[in-house]
Amino acid sequence: MGNYCVPQEMRVERIGIEDPARTLRTYDLSFVNDADREAFKYLPGQFCELSIPGKGESPFGIASSPTEEGFLRFTVNRTGSVTNEIHYLRNGDLIGLRGPLGNWYPVEDMKGMNILIIGGGFAFTTLRSLLVYLMNSRDDYKNITVIYGARNPDLFIYKDEIAMWKQRDDIQMHLTIDKPVDGWDEKTGFVPAVVEEVAPVPDNTMAIVCGPPVMIKYTLPVLTKLGFSDEMIYTSLERRMKCGIGKCGRCNIGSKYICIDGPVFSMAELKNIPETV
Amino acid sequence: MNMVSLDKKKFGSFILELSAEYTVYAPGKAGGKTEFIPVESEDEIDLKTLVTDLSPKGIFFPHSEVLYEYDKEGIRVPQKETGKPIAVWGMRGCDSRSLLMLNKVFGSAIQMPDNKNFQDPYWKEKYDSSVIFGTGCNEPLSTCFCNWFEGGPHSSQGMDVFVADAGDRFLMEPVTDKGRAALDKMSSFTDSTEDDKTTAAQLASEAQGGMAEPMDVNGLGEMLNNKYDEPVWEEVSAKCINCGACTFSCPTCHCYDIQDEGKGSSGKRIRIWDSCMFPIFTMEASGHNPRALSSQRVRQRVMHKYSYFPEKYGEFLCTGCGRCVTVCPVNLDIREVLKRINEYKKQGITNG
Repeated sequence: MGNYCVPQEMRVERIGIEDPARTLRTYDLSFVNDADREAFKYLPGQFCELSIPGKGESPFGIASSPTEEGFLRFTVNRTGSVTNEIHYLRNGDLIGLRGPLGNWYPVEDMKGMNILIIGGGFAFTTLRSLLVYLMNSRDDYKNITVIYGARNPDLFIYKDEIAMWKQRDDIQMHLTIDKPVDGWDEKTGFVPAVVEEVAPVPDNTMAIVCGPPVMIKYTLPVLTKLGFSDEMIYTSLERRMKCGIGKCGRCNIGSKYICIDGPVFSMAELKNIPETV
Repeated sequence: MNMVSLDKKKFGSFILELSAEYTVYAPGKAGGKTEFIPVESEDEIDLKTLVTDLSPKGIFFPHSEVLYEYDKEGIRVPQKETGKPIAVWGMRGCDSRSLLMLNKVFGSAIQMPDNKNFQDPYWKEKYDSSVIFGTGCNEPLSTCFCNWFEGGPHSSQGMDVFVADAGDRFLMEPVTDKGRAALDKMSSFTDSTEDDKTTAAQLASEAQGGMAEPMDVNGLGEMLNNKYDEPVWEEVSAKCINCGACTFSCPTCHCYDIQDEGKGSSGKRIRIWDSCMFPIFTMEASGHNPRALSSQRVRQRVMHKYSYFPEKYGEFLCTGCGRCVTVCPVNLDIREVLKRINEYKKQGITNG
């Protein structure tokens, strides 16, 4: 019987700074033990608890794709005491990890479908995992459309990859910022409005929405208006978590625990659950 | 082995016999309050108290428990100090039933999408090998409402040996093989007579009759779901001061926090009882709090016990022990809350 309360050791291999204010950093972690690497099987949408001895643990969505071998990627926004401590880590330092936890985006069901990815701010982490995963077997999917919004151009994460994806003709990439800024030649306006403007076709399309609660709240009705059925809309939710294994009792929405019944839910599931978004 | 009879004069030697094989917990005094404490002799045991101030959940799910220790060398999970399994004497039916519920959370695996097996080793190490001697309640208290649910004053659910207090003797009946095996190793008692069996049955029936009429809890979960958005929650929670005494004393409340305690590079990670009554329970680092209001938190506790848990695990997360009724500093009675919501007529406005 495994002890799921005890973290495994990971090593910081690469640190990327995502924004000029340096509050968003991306960490590539390698496995210290071969057995841990062998045992770690995940899919886009799952998360891990990152752990600093003496400071505690916090949950983070996995930003790498299982198709990228040998490392796990996490983007950490400096907000509280654990994330603050993670920001002090340097290359070669060790960090604890428990996971993979939770469920994943329905990547099997997506085969043969058009995919619409809608993201906001630094919640693009598991969406990056998904996008990289889909691009790895591009022929399995039809059109892939991405709508990604941030408050301002600085706050997009994975800017190099975004530039790369924009070059490709097999992804329709729409970027938007809240208010106009000099030199910005992409879209301007909140994500829900841009979704309405882009008006993706709902036929044979699965929509994946992940972002701040307010973005999710106002984007879902737009998708419904465009003709997306509740079964074709998926979102990933967040709550304060501790154990990550459905026992400590704080991350529930209704009878569901985000940590084991989620974080990925379909709109059809959420319709019957109170206090979601 | 069938029912056996233990003369109360021999209770002391029975406890000594039990102590030879087990670490024995029984109701006793600690800091002026009654709770389950480790005992070695009869003198330390309180045989009178029906519902101890603190529930016995802490025997298996301690108020704070070290998950592991860490230092520069790495991580170590602490090993149990004594090889003896745990025996509990004098657990009431409400409390032994609560262990079955906690065992669903900690002991049984929740089937994960990837078939991961999230059993809790800290709980299992203590609970799986334990033997529970439960005692029937002959004179239930006014705060007792075990008869609302599937329990009762002489219910033996969650016990390995059921004990009826027949005045000058204890009538002990094994409930599980584990209980039978424990009794097989001991000799302080004698075989029971037909008379003993009649006495035990009579005590059970009298106790049942001494309880107030239960509320009908059929469809309770659906009723609560149906009124989730109603303003009645503000009304029933208005006097709650979110002190958390109810969750602390509750034998089934099991929400916990995980904290690190340490200095420099060494320390330990512990889990500690937490309470859904506290605002920081769900407060996120960003400052966002999905349950910022007291009424939302009271609703969460009631919904968890009578709607969410039954949906997930098939039974109410409440055994009717009445501790929350007794300890509440503002006299918030969970029975009255349920009755009030039940009788409340839905308003025309819903957002569902």
